[in-house]
Amino acid sequence: MKSKLLALLGGTLLSASAMAGGYQVNLASQRQIGMGHTGTGIQTGTSSIFFNPGAMSYLRENGVTVGASGIIAKIAYRAPEPGGVEAMTDNPLGTPFQLYGVYGINDKLKAGLGIYTPFGSSVNWGDEWSGRFGLNELSLQAIFIQPTLSYQITDQIGVGVGFVYAVGGVNLQRSIPVQNQQGAYGRAELDGDASGVGFNAGIFFKPSEKFSVGLNYRSKVDMKVEGGDATFTVAESISSRFPAGTQFDAQLPLPSTLTLGLGFMPTEALTIAVDVSRVGWSAYESLRFDYTAAINGADFSENARNYEDAYIYRIGAEYKLSDAVALRGGAYYDNTPVMEGYLTPETPDANALGLSAGIGFAVSDNFSIDASFLYINKEERTDTGALAGGIAGTYKSVAYIPGIGLNFKF
Amino acid sequence: MLALFAGILLTSCDPEIDAPNSSAGELDLTKYVAVGNSLTAGYQDRGLYREAQLASYPALLAMQLEQAGGGEFVQPLFGTAEANGTGYLTIDRFENGRPIIVTVPGQAFRQGTTLPGGAALTKYTDPVQNLGIPGISVLASASPQYGAINPYFERLLEPAEVGTKTYVQEVIESQPTFFSVWLGNNDVLGYATSGGEPTSPLDNLTDRNTFGFIYNTLVDGLTAGGAEGVLMTIADVTAVPFFTTVPYNALALERQEQVDQLNAAYGSGALGFSFQLGANPLIVRDPAAPAGLRPIKPTELVLLTALDSIAGRGYGSVKPLPDKFFLDESELQSIEEHTAAYNEIIRSVATDHSLALFDANAFFDSIKGGFMLDQVTYAPVFVSGNLFSLDGIHPTPRGYAILTNEMIRTINAKYNANIPTVDVSQYRAVLFP
Repeated sequence: MKSKLLALLGGTLLSASAMAGGYQVNLASQRQIGMGHTGTGIQTGTSSIFFNPGAMSYLRENGVTVGASGIIAKIAYRAPEPGGVEAMTDNPLGTPFQLYGVYGINDKLKAGLGIYTPFGSSVNWGDEWSGRFGLNELSLQAIFIQPTLSYQITDQIGVGVGFVYAVGGVNLQRSIPVQNQQGAYGRAELDGDASGVGFNAGIFFKPSEKFSVGLNYRSKVDMKVEGGDATFTVAESISSRFPAGTQFDAQLPLPSTLTLGLGFMPTEALTIAVDVSRVGWSAYESLRFDYTAAINGADFSENARNYEDAYIYRIGAEYKLSDAVALRGGAYYDNTPVMEGYLTPETPDANALGLSAGIGFAVSDNFSIDASFLYINKEERTDTGALAGGIAGTYKSVAYIPGIGLNFKF
Repeated sequence: MLALFAGILLTSCDPEIDAPNSSAGELDLTKYVAVGNSLTAGYQDRGLYREAQLASYPALLAMQLEQAGGGEFVQPLFGTAEANGTGYLTIDRFENGRPIIVTVPGQAFRQGTTLPGGAALTKYTDPVQNLGIPGISVLASASPQYGAINPYFERLLEPAEVGTKTYVQEVIESQPTFFSVWLGNNDVLGYATSGGEPTSPLDNLTDRNTFGFIYNTLVDGLTAGGAEGVLMTIADVTAVPFFTTVPYNALALERQEQVDQLNAAYGSGALGFSFQLGANPLIVRDPAAPAGLRPIKPTELVLLTALDSIAGRGYGSVKPLPDKFFLDESELQSIEEHTAAYNEIIRSVATDHSLALFDANAFFDSIKGGFMLDQVTYAPVFVSGNLFSLDGIHPTPRGYAILTNEMIRTINAKYNANIPTVDVSQYRAVLFP
């Protein structure tokens, strides 16, 4: 009788989805954000460490760049028709940052170090919304530390490669659909530190003053969580099904990105850049948690993701009004990797349009400031989420992302 | 000031999802009246109490109708001082995985007055729109005496009406512009929950012609003024945990010693059956069988009320399970035939009057294997299935909310309306200690 009575308790309460889809954060340089986040086919200064290590060898001065953005993002939800239920995320301010330093060992060989945040997600749906048994809140962070070497083979060709060590963490919380005598639902929290390794390699070719081209490959990084804490708060009478002190292992792929970039410099004041990226999201097949103890009868949970590879198309331009002031603008179109039926509330991804503007101001020969603003508008998307443990409904996301960066040369 | 401005700017830039406006379609929702039995009253956990009334499907439906222009809806709510109503069941603890269920005492009894159907309840004679009367059948709804028998009906009647006014009269006098009727369940349930051994004539299976005549009279009266509404069919007993929780082979023998003892006690195979290690069919009384007992058949159903007797008092093994604790094949066949006949009548009345029909029978049939909604699993399973309350027959508040949404979809489709569904996650299921 026991198994029959309790078998359905909470249902698949932990087999459901977690973490994010489309959790790439393309905010690696304040100058480049202003230009639609292009940069693989042009010289971008110290941020070539990220965009194309092959172009780093072209730097003529040592430099350091620090910058950060503030992501103000909101996601609206509406239950399937004729449901009147609506919800809106109350996400904390996301703060991706970047720090780059480049040092010239000699004319041809440059060494650099980049610390940046190319992936992450922060979503908070709260404890009241109708999908809270899928997700309350998620926070996913990854910080990449990338020592890099770049060598200029000829005046026209540079190559570079960096080793990536990534550290980060995940925190996932959801309500458990079993209530105690006061009517309070249970809660599950998974919290763990993660790390992984990868590389970033690029080649840069500049045949003339008016044209350049670059190819960049940033490898997949498998972020592994080992011994994360799984904490459950449930009604006393069923607490033995959710053992205290349970730990979990998990792995999340941060996908590879292959980018071909072109740069056009028709005049000395004008730079136009075009990038096409292929993001290897197909590496994200499923999300699996392995527990050290049986949780409600199962020692693992797994949900399909089956992302597909996706392309991003970018265009951007910079126009130098004077030696001191540069104006920038750009746009991109980012295809979603999430197929129909696989939408989850972690990041209810959809095809996205990004529009950006920026300004650069040189205070002195050695010090300049970049400011950027990016607006992201994702298409409204309706999905059952049935294949990935999602919450059926319609989702719509927008984000406003101001940022500022400081550049020092010496 | 700047922060305020920035706040307004950002709020006005929030993402928005457009949706069609709520609408009543072809319906006049000025006055909604709910007609029915315990399911309509909001009864659950073997009782009617304030919290349950507030989560009755008519209350939820009325709340949604209001968003499409519907009027006020009045229920005969128990007051906050008598919130426990008639009392209800709650889980005290688990023993070996079996819920130990206890009763919270009632508070709404009228001292010193007892009716044939139970203790009288505090009166509520103001006009109400939820006319759900726990226990009422189609047969009883035409009886003038019924108001003096059923405490829930007596509660709503003026003293002069008690014993003289039928439920059908009460319903027709309410003159709704929109109504729901979910009646007929008790025309089989009284028989079924007594294991086919009814102790009162009102608990027998109602003759189908009588059922058809009364049901037609009721709906004719309701629609006489042009009102529209929704009719609901009744579920099969096999869709309800009360009849499906205890398996036929619930007699678990773990030691050879137990097997030998039982074999010896039951004539060492001379009665045509013997016991083995593992799951065995329960032993039940059957006057037609040799020695008046036999193993229960896989097709027969053990009632939830037998659970404690089987688990704690040796029934079904050393003591044969009495008739009132199970439904045998012929009883089940009668129940099935009558359920099908009543549903056929309800469907044809809906067609004749061009009313909406929520086929609850088909709905419960479709969810026997369970379903998932917003990452919560639902199934017609006792305690853990989230749909049914602790009496194993009536839904939980969340179960009622899910039913309400099915009704709304039916109404929307029939009357070209756009009534929004309920956020079921706001309603509770079974509470665990």
